[in-house]
Amino acid sequence: MSRPVPEPSSLSEPFWAAAGRGELVVPRCTACGLRFFTPEPICPSCWSPDWRYEPCSGRGTVYSVTVVHRSPGPGFTVPFALAVVDLAEGPAVLSHVVGIAPERVTIGMPVRVRFHRLTDTITLPCFAPDEA
Amino acid sequence: MDPRQPVIVGVHATEQALSLPHHTPMDLAVAAVRGALADAGLTTDQVDGAQLDWPGPGAPGDGSSWARPFGGRLRWTSDAMLDNAGVRGLLKAAAAVRAGYADVVVVGGCRLVTRGAGNQPVGAGRSLEFTDVWGAYVVPQFALVAARHMHDFGTTGEQLASVAAMVRNNGTDNPEAMMFGRGPYTAADVLASRLIATPLHLLDCCVVGEGGAAMVVTTAERARDLPGPAITVLSGSMEYRQAAYVNPALYREVGRIGEAAARRCLAVAGVSVHDIDAFSLYDPNSFEIIRQVETLGLCREGDGGPFAVSGAVTRDGGHPVNPDGGCLAHAWNGTQQLTLRVIEAVRQLRGSAVHQVPDAELAVVANAGSGAQHYEMCVLGGPS
Repeated sequence: MSRPVPEPSSLSEPFWAAAGRGELVVPRCTACGLRFFTPEPICPSCWSPDWRYEPCSGRGTVYSVTVVHRSPGPGFTVPFALAVVDLAEGPAVLSHVVGIAPERVTIGMPVRVRFHRLTDTITLPCFAPDEA
Repeated sequence: MDPRQPVIVGVHATEQALSLPHHTPMDLAVAAVRGALADAGLTTDQVDGAQLDWPGPGAPGDGSSWARPFGGRLRWTSDAMLDNAGVRGLLKAAAAVRAGYADVVVVGGCRLVTRGAGNQPVGAGRSLEFTDVWGAYVVPQFALVAARHMHDFGTTGEQLASVAAMVRNNGTDNPEAMMFGRGPYTAADVLASRLIATPLHLLDCCVVGEGGAAMVVTTAERARDLPGPAITVLSGSMEYRQAAYVNPALYREVGRIGEAAARRCLAVAGVSVHDIDAFSLYDPNSFEIIRQVETLGLCREGDGGPFAVSGAVTRDGGHPVNPDGGCLAHAWNGTQQLTLRVIEAVRQLRGSAVHQVPDAELAVVANAGSGAQHYEMCVLGGPS
């Protein structure tokens, strides 16, 4: 058995399509300018239904991290670093930090998006230490 | 007292165990309901409100499924899993009773966790597009909050482990607890147990098992005709940040969940947190106890670790927390462990608790927490 694979909805399909092209995009409200995640039908701040996906730099900072030792289920290799990353432009996103031993990931570490192909249709935006 | 003041007049917990293979969820729900009504001195034909898990055919959340077993007498039901348990269920039943929508409401039932993947967040029979793929099940969600608290305030793994050991040891000599006879534990034992998701070790996390529970809410006026003591629902308050587990739990958003509920709840009851004799808090893990002593106002934000290991929250301390062993050691059974937190407080106020706090007159019950992004709290008062 394999890892749970996201099933894109009409709201999220552009996000996954962009990830497949190696681009990180997040919803940005046209009315109030808020960048938010996960995609929702209305802006969580001003309730406007008008938002669009905009590209981000892919840079961010680790806000919190936990090293998961007990596997969530099939398809996961433990231990792995589950982290909340504050994107430079906002907002915060959930992801894995890769390219480094999980226990060496620290809060405050600068990271940059690194795409990981999960299936033919889904590419995951993971993060790796930003050497720059 | 207002004749429609809501009171709890009956409680029942079924056996709680790792596995109850000879029982179905319906057996346990029926046992819980019958037990709570018997405890109240009531019969099923005197019930006109039911917030109960329905483990039968049809939609599991559809409370109207209970209307037929209750002979078409129901005036009040619920349609949501978390309205059928714990403080949220209690407060909704109490509101209905006070408003006159119903007179005798039973809350509870049994909803067993499916084994197998086992680590799925509660309520995630639905898939969570931006959560499941990362393996962010319940324990790592809470771990993310704990990790940030440790970073911001210097809370240590040893403090978490000390709290875990203390509450688990309250279950060691509680015959109803799943962990009865296991332990006693030291902080070192907790730290030596395998890691689930840092900083949480296995013994920092609650048990998982099977069982049911229920409680009966009625008016103070009705309670005068009933044999047992009436426990007063003095106040309640809830907080919600967002739907659980759709977005990750961030300390800066959820770390203080419960603070506003505590201020409101205590103010309405007209008491200070220091007047509370017993605390029955939701403890899916040791960190949540540290977090809640801060949000309840027993100490400042960031001081929960030192406070919780100071002796203040032991069953002999000034602010006893979970004298029965909590979810860490007594039970976690899907959703009715939320009701068991209420039941412990009711027993404390009746004077019938396994580890009785002397002369307990006021109790706080709290459910859910930071990882789950919702919080419900009430103040209960003993019989006058």
